Amino acid sequence: MIKLQDICRFFKVGDETVHALDKVTLDISRGDYISIMGASGSGKSTLLNMLGLLDMPNSGSYQFEGKELTTLSEEKRATFRRENVGFIFQSFHLIPRLTAAGNLELPLMLMGMAPKERHTKVKDALANIGLADRANHLPKQLSGGQQQRVAIARAMILKPPLLLADEPTGNLDTHSGNDVVKILEELNASGITLIVVTHDLELGERATRKIKMLDGKIIEDVTSEKPI
Amino acid sequence: MRILDTLGFGKIALTANPTRTLLILLAMSIGVASVIILTSLGEGARKYVSAQFETLGSELLFILPGKRETTGGLPPLLGTSPKDLTIEDALSLKRSRAIAYVAPVILGAAPVSFASREREVVIFGSSSDLKAALDLPMAAGHFLPDDDPRNAASICVIGNKLKKELFDNKKAIGEWLRIGERRFRVIGELSAKGQSVGMDLSDTAIIPVASAEILFNKASLSRMIVKARGKESLDKAEADILRTIKQRHDGDEDITILRQDSLLQTFDGVLQTLTWALAGIAAISLIVAGILIMNVMLVSVSQRKSEIGLLKALGAPTRQVLTLFLSEALMLSIAGGIIGVFIGLAGAKMIAYFIPNFPVQTPLWAIAASLIVTIITGLIFGSIPASKAAKLNPVLALSDK
Amino acid sequence: MRITDYSLLALSSLKYSRLRTYLTALGIAVGIAAVVLLTALGGGAQHYMMGQFSQFGANIISVAPGKTTTAGISGAILSNVRPLTIEDAESLHRLPNIITSVPAIQGNLPIERGNRTRWTSVLGINHEVPDTWAMEVGQGRFLPNEPAEQARNFVVIGDTIRRELFPYTKPLGEFLRIGGERYRVIGVMKKKGQVLGLDMDDIVYIPVYRALSLYNRDSLMEIDLRYTEGYDEEQIINNIKQRLIERHGSEDFTITSQDDIIGTLGSILGILTAVVAGLGSISLFVGGVGIFTIMSIAVNERIKEIGLLRALGASRRQVTLLFLFEAAVLSGLGGIFGMLSGFGIAWLLHYVIPALPVNIQWDYVIMAEIIAIVTGMIAGLVPATRAAKMEPVDALRSE
Ligand SMILES: Nc1ncnc2c1ncn2[C@@H]1O[C@H](COP(=O)(O)OP(=O)(O)OP(=O)(O)O)[C@@H](O)[C@H]1O
Ligand SMILES: [Mg+2]
Repeated sequence: MIKLQDICRFFKVGDETVHALDKVTLDISRGDYISIMGASGSGKSTLLNMLGLLDMPNSGSYQFEGKELTTLSEEKRATFRRENVGFIFQSFHLIPRLTAAGNLELPLMLMGMAPKERHTKVKDALANIGLADRANHLPKQLSGGQQQRVAIARAMILKPPLLLADEPTGNLDTHSGNDVVKILEELNASGITLIVVTHDLELGERATRKIKMLDGKIIEDVTSEKPI
Repeated sequence: MRILDTLGFGKIALTANPTRTLLILLAMSIGVASVIILTSLGEGARKYVSAQFETLGSELLFILPGKRETTGGLPPLLGTSPKDLTIEDALSLKRSRAIAYVAPVILGAAPVSFASREREVVIFGSSSDLKAALDLPMAAGHFLPDDDPRNAASICVIGNKLKKELFDNKKAIGEWLRIGERRFRVIGELSAKGQSVGMDLSDTAIIPVASAEILFNKASLSRMIVKARGKESLDKAEADILRTIKQRHDGDEDITILRQDSLLQTFDGVLQTLTWALAGIAAISLIVAGILIMNVMLVSVSQRKSEIGLLKALGAPTRQVLTLFLSEALMLSIAGGIIGVFIGLAGAKMIAYFIPNFPVQTPLWAIAASLIVTIITGLIFGSIPASKAAKLNPVLALSDK
Repeated sequence: MRITDYSLLALSSLKYSRLRTYLTALGIAVGIAAVVLLTALGGGAQHYMMGQFSQFGANIISVAPGKTTTAGISGAILSNVRPLTIEDAESLHRLPNIITSVPAIQGNLPIERGNRTRWTSVLGINHEVPDTWAMEVGQGRFLPNEPAEQARNFVVIGDTIRRELFPYTKPLGEFLRIGGERYRVIGVMKKKGQVLGLDMDDIVYIPVYRALSLYNRDSLMEIDLRYTEGYDEEQIINNIKQRLIERHGSEDFTITSQDDIIGTLGSILGILTAVVAGLGSISLFVGGVGIFTIMSIAVNERIKEIGLLRALGASRRQVTLLFLFEAAVLSGLGGIFGMLSGFGIAWLLHYVIPALPVNIQWDYVIMAEIIAIVTGMIAGLVPATRAAKMEPVDALRSE
């Protein structure tokens, strides 16, 4: 599904250049369950953002189902993100002013869906994550685990084939973390490609394919036969 | 905390958000600058009008025939009256010691022609006193001679515009004009200078008053222009005029006297009010700027909650927090005010540069008032956010992210 | 994205920081209220003046002696070598579509009754005044239709004169002395009050021929002609001009139509209203600076959110529009609030000081609303594009 070839991404900080990604080459197939691990600052988030087209490489090529994406215009990249990528962040990134339902509605609004259609979709999605009764709660009225579940539902509401999670359990206690992981793995089981960046060894080991990074390079890429 | 430290604290807060601070300064200074510029214009108009009256001489009195009992309304500028004002009336007024000059005036219109050119203009029938009373400068030749105004000499003095229209650049002195059915010799030419509001003599011909009586076939004056001997004689001159005319008109006080100085006072009052109104309208924008200061201060109070909590935890009393935020608001408004005054003064200078004849003048009261209003604005609109900051519960403030 | 959704999102964030929204909108509201109120006062003055002028009657063209050249007092009204005569007035009357023709001369004279004397304005006119000027006879009748030279010594008096000279008795049939001659009172005009500061009731009307001899003049001051409603004024003015040139040999008169005067007056007052509106807009501009400031703050506070929106697939354009909408809704709300309070204050002013004419100028109100929203959008534009220009990754990383 995804083919990264010699992707480089560097940042100039003062006189120094930080190579966040250094000639990364990577093939990802549909339905993969990948974990990315590595020391802080090794480039994990940068890689994830690159995969989600939030960031652009300085060099290298990124093909998605055979289509080159590095040459896309900003407008097309936005559409690509909306249609193909779901993002989940460590800090949830829910909009504090909007209710759970309102946050779920956002991607649908952005694509211009009619309100009626939106409401049924949002209702279903909330039911799926077991928060049907919290539709009108503001994020600050929800627990961390609940917030992350809303964020996942928001990421998946347009059913994108690719789900990117950057330390999804980093801000959660073990119990809520497990809930979140369960939901993510269910989504993967239904055929969605899942890529998780994590510092949690246990979580990392659950993936079928485990990638290790150091200083912007992939230093290890192991695929286990069957998931635990 | 020392005042200097308080100010220093405020300065740090203000420079931390330079765009925000600059925008508030902009808003404040627009308000102040518009107050300054508008009052400068209003004051300029006032100065301009009084200067115009000044050139006419504020010792002037106009005597009109007839009167009206209803106060208010127009004086009988165009009215005619049966008990005519006569040249003799004018001569008799000259006996008063309070009066320097008396110019009898017959106003009328008649076609003036020279060669093939003709022009219908206002004709002034008057005497040599007109020049003295109105201080008319000559461009060439002489004014009407100082003889008995009852002499109907066939001579005339023409305004500079009439001269241009009839003669172009040729010499006019000594030429014979036709006014109505009579011929007049040009003996003088008025200069373009010395013209002022309501007294534009540039497109007129001035002839002896007795000649005007013949020309228009009437023996009554349209008005008299009297110049008193100095401002202090004005009241006496007015009394003398009333007494003399009453005597001469069988006990009837059938005239209206308009005084230049009271006219000036009326104009002055109107323009003063206008200036105040302009300042008031411009000051509305100061309120808007004040609201902005309050708004931004409120935002910064809620953004700096933890900072305020920390200050309190460190032992700052409520009053001190209040002073801190209040002084921040004051610094904003005063700085904006001072910038505004400078922009306003520059704007006034610029207007003065582009309209050189208009005496743009920034009144000191406007500068003082706008600075005071600025300070009050800062105090009023700053006090709400400041008291909000001061009332914050330190525990809650620290825990709030 | 749908427009309703843009406004929905804008409203949600405006509602979230309520006090801030109110204060920002208040800034705009003060500006709009100032414009609405000031133009209402200007419009009121305009309306008032027009109303006053139309009290002189409609469809009137007046002819004055002498060609006015420069501005200022036309000396020709006082005296001239080419008089405008009663015969001129009669001749103009015979032109097509001229309904009435009033020759007029005015002066001030003492009026005596017994030992009471009052100086007043004495108008020499003819019987057609009630059909020309908007004036009505209250008691008795107006001057009769008689050949000018044979007009009898009749006088019609204004209400003020009636009050002053006949405080206890009926004036009709009584005699007055005007300029030493005896006149019989045959009518009293209805009270009219002040028009443009002149007491319209402090006037007496006598036949024009008598007035000319009283004032010892041969020229009228004015001829007022009323023409049939709906006819081309320009054509009629041309007819008048031709006829008078035929009679006088040259154009030694000035024709002014009432429309001219009202037009000039209207445009002067219109300019005044525009200037006042301009002054009021200074506040509107400052309000715009307020929106700019607050929107900049909002963008700063919501950098992360912008990053998230981009991650969710929002394009730069959508982010720009979101913030622009917020600014527009902000200023629009302020505008509506300002408009309403402007109306309120205008109404209150009118209620407290009934003499103060107020007239809401809808064109300015609508223009001010549009300016408010445009100001808001312009003020929102810079922060909004700043928001859109942000790199999504940086926005998400920001603290
Ligand atoms: N916008 C930026 N400007 C400068 N340097 C950056 C920027 N973004 C990332 N970097 C640098 O790129 C490198 C990789 O950063 P990245 O966020 O991908 O690390 P990470 O592996 O996700 O670390 P962590 O586990 O702490 O999240 C770091 O050294 C970081 O300092
Ligand atoms: Mg990271």
